[in-house]
Amino acid sequence: MPNREKPSMVKGLKQLLKYIATRTAAYLATIFTGVTLTYIVVKAMPVDAVENILFNIISVTAVYDPASIELLRRNLYEILGMGGSPVESYLIFIRRVFTFDFGPSIIAYPTPASEIVFNRLPWTVGLLLTSTLTVWVTGNLLGVIAGYFRDRRFAKVLESVAITLYPIPYYIMALILIFLFAYLLRIFPLGGGISIIPEKLNLEVILNILWHSILPAASLILPGALGWSFLSSRTLTMQTLAEDYTRYAEARGLPRSHILKRYILRNILLPQTTVLALSLGGIFGGALLTEIVFTYPGVGQIAYRAIFSGDVYTLMAVLFLSIIGTATGTYLLDLLYPLIDPRVRYR
Amino acid sequence: MGTVTESLRRMGKLLITLYMGNLKFRIGFTILSILVILGFAVSPFSPTNTRSWYIVPRDRPPSYEYPLGTSSMGRDILWELCASIRNSLTIAFVTAMIASHIGLFLGFIAGIRGGVIDRILMFITDTFIIIPGLPLLMVVTTVLKRYLTIPTLGMLISIVSWPWPSRQVRSMVLSLRERTFIHTAKLSGMGTFRVIVQELMPYVLGWHLINFTNTILFSIGTESGLAILGLSILDDNTLGVMIYWALNWGYALFRGIWWWLAAPVATLVLVFISFYLVSIGMTEFMHPIARR
Amino acid sequence: MIVEGLKAGYKLQTIGSSEEVGVYVDAVSGVSFTLYRNEVFGIAGESGCGKSTLIKAVYGYYEPSLVLRGGSARIYGAKGEEFDTTRMDRGLLEKRVWWKHMSYIPQSSMNVLNPTMRIRDHFAEILRIHVGMKKGEAYQEARKYLEEVGLPVDALSAFPHQLSGGMRQRVVIALAILLEPSLILADEPSSALDVINQKVALTLLREKQEALKNTLVIVSHDMGVHGVLTHRMAIMYAGKIVEIGRTADIFWKPLHPYTKALIESLPRLGDKSKRVGLSGSPPDLKKPPDGCRFHPRCPYAMLICSRAEPSLREIKEGHYTACWLYSEAVGEPR
Repeated sequence: MPNREKPSMVKGLKQLLKYIATRTAAYLATIFTGVTLTYIVVKAMPVDAVENILFNIISVTAVYDPASIELLRRNLYEILGMGGSPVESYLIFIRRVFTFDFGPSIIAYPTPASEIVFNRLPWTVGLLLTSTLTVWVTGNLLGVIAGYFRDRRFAKVLESVAITLYPIPYYIMALILIFLFAYLLRIFPLGGGISIIPEKLNLEVILNILWHSILPAASLILPGALGWSFLSSRTLTMQTLAEDYTRYAEARGLPRSHILKRYILRNILLPQTTVLALSLGGIFGGALLTEIVFTYPGVGQIAYRAIFSGDVYTLMAVLFLSIIGTATGTYLLDLLYPLIDPRVRYR
Repeated sequence: MGTVTESLRRMGKLLITLYMGNLKFRIGFTILSILVILGFAVSPFSPTNTRSWYIVPRDRPPSYEYPLGTSSMGRDILWELCASIRNSLTIAFVTAMIASHIGLFLGFIAGIRGGVIDRILMFITDTFIIIPGLPLLMVVTTVLKRYLTIPTLGMLISIVSWPWPSRQVRSMVLSLRERTFIHTAKLSGMGTFRVIVQELMPYVLGWHLINFTNTILFSIGTESGLAILGLSILDDNTLGVMIYWALNWGYALFRGIWWWLAAPVATLVLVFISFYLVSIGMTEFMHPIARR
Repeated sequence: MIVEGLKAGYKLQTIGSSEEVGVYVDAVSGVSFTLYRNEVFGIAGESGCGKSTLIKAVYGYYEPSLVLRGGSARIYGAKGEEFDTTRMDRGLLEKRVWWKHMSYIPQSSMNVLNPTMRIRDHFAEILRIHVGMKKGEAYQEARKYLEEVGLPVDALSAFPHQLSGGMRQRVVIALAILLEPSLILADEPSSALDVINQKVALTLLREKQEALKNTLVIVSHDMGVHGVLTHRMAIMYAGKIVEIGRTADIFWKPLHPYTKALIESLPRLGDKSKRVGLSGSPPDLKKPPDGCRFHPRCPYAMLICSRAEPSLREIKEGHYTACWLYSEAVGEPR
């Protein structure tokens, strides 16, 4: 009998609620611990933001009076919420996290840190969303085809290419691409996000942005699409082909296209959504090194500058976003996956 | 002691079988051996100090005298490259020794003990997984800049490298635990520890070797990433540091001194591909479905 | 169905050595038999005797290592259409023969249903692909059919893992009978089940056979299954049929020494004497013995048995055996 009798329905609901409750608690706890740990590490940075700002102000306004410098220093500490004991400033930080106001930035004082990050976010999300989705779709498609026709020559060629591309980190790939396409062939720009002044959003602006983002995107897509998602979906395809249920479907005289769609793709795409959800969760962290190598104006660029100028608030805003993204990706996946894949049940 | 020598003997035998039986492993292992020889056997014979500036003519393209050319810093790129291979591999080895063993240990405990201990350990692991690794390492290396040496950098990178091996070993142990032979061993009155060592170790050891290799890959990648950002040990030779100087100080591409950048980039690519081939060679051997 | 001189086996490659050494396992070595409409035919024998390979070869489902070496297997549709499965390629079999005229029930039902598809879709896809029904129509048909075979209708919307092993086996049997084929090949249809589920599954098979009046082939190592279910049966040993006859004759008047040993080893009600099994083990089919393949273990082996192979001869009406003991006259072994 199917496990769907009435008493077990009630039990099942209770179990489901308990599952959601524990997962939510774990989700919030990991975020809290993660943010706190990060905060402690970031606070230990030797670069003092106040001294940085003071230095800037002094060099611009030529104030030499020691008393007014001291006053300025105390004011700055207060404005930045950096005075007081470590515990106090931690509590101030936590309060700020809840309001999404991370305090003023230092790299662009007095613009709020969150504003700087949100201004840069479209660049990063645009680049990473496109490349992540491209990687997932093409990688899986090619992987399934290469797994299904594994004895054909093109499948073997694809596999060799994938094995070569996959282990190369994206920033090394970025260097290779810059060397080939920006230095040798000179088809794409060496870096930057846009090279004209955008007065309003028109076709020219969009094309310019696209032109600048092709190499960064390629450096992320090449090791990804022909790498991880290709290799894993190829292996999964071969596993699924060897399963009894696929072979029995063949013995039932079902046509190949039907088996490919209903038996192989369906059984493979489900586990592969896990990977998609996790990488989508990761896109807020930015591809820091790609952004640096291509001087691309994204969130990673901001984090980099924040580290070097001791800008704790801006850095924390970036890291917080990234932590939330990854944790939420995993959390939603844990909750939704049993709905998507009938083989998995809430535990 | 007995189990340790037994494990080593087993690993040695595994390596020989792999080398004979798996093409990918053979290619990877061969490239890797050449790199190791260059780094550890050849580099001590360097005629010049690879960390000094302006000791050979600058910006010379590859020639008979300087096979890989010279850099704008006045270094012979061939010898600098050998020293860099040595240092990069050492950093990676330190990371792998620490991180993969922490992972092995925690994953084992979590998988075997289960219950509360498992939950606590996995909570810690998950917390480390959600913290963005590279920015965290950037901050840590800025904080500890004064103390950075080849071994300590390896140690620092292991902070962010252990969670994945740990999760992997745990799921491995969990699936092995379900198999009947473990139940039999438990029923026959063996203590938990002896169950681990005698029944599970042989199976987990192979995967541990794979984790070890992957951690090396991760560590070399992370070091070169940090170096490109100027956060590695800039006054020593590593593959990443070579790239840093060529890009940020020498503007190698703008000035057309491509060989300065090409040497470390090509070597890094070889390092990555060879370690990866070794890793999948082992995986295919351990997990025959991938072989077909 | 008429099978004539069917030869099939496995080509294996030794893994690990650099040179490719082909090893051939002679699993089905020249097998001939004829089946009639409206009968249940059993194939018995120890595991590894080639009985599963035989029906895979008849069905025409060749896995990479299984190769056909000769012979023919002709099957007949309900309107008398003739198909020789050994002469048809995979595409043709898929389109014309499989499931419409001949279906196959695999050894274990544990993992043969798609874990991500509901039970109703398993029925619907066959109706849509082989019969050309529309989706809604196919669902209705599946529901009607499931009621007919006595499966609970709410199983239709379940996923395979939500069903018990016995239920899953019944679903697989129901799938095989769905298009009312004239030949059903069942490979150990009940061996993975407990006694009660075994009985349910076998009853379902027999009832459907009686209703359809088609041919059902049951492969099983369990002589009990044959005794209850089959009308006629064949005994296989080391890739060859050693005896064919009515099930009752095989049980009560076995001819071949191997069959005798097989029957004698069965437990009987009230009999407390110890069972004497055969000594020795079946031959390695990579290098089968010369002559009669049973002679190394045969208590009645003669000189000729190791030199020449006996052919299948009719000893009594409808009762065949391949044994030198019966070469001259019909009679008891000396």
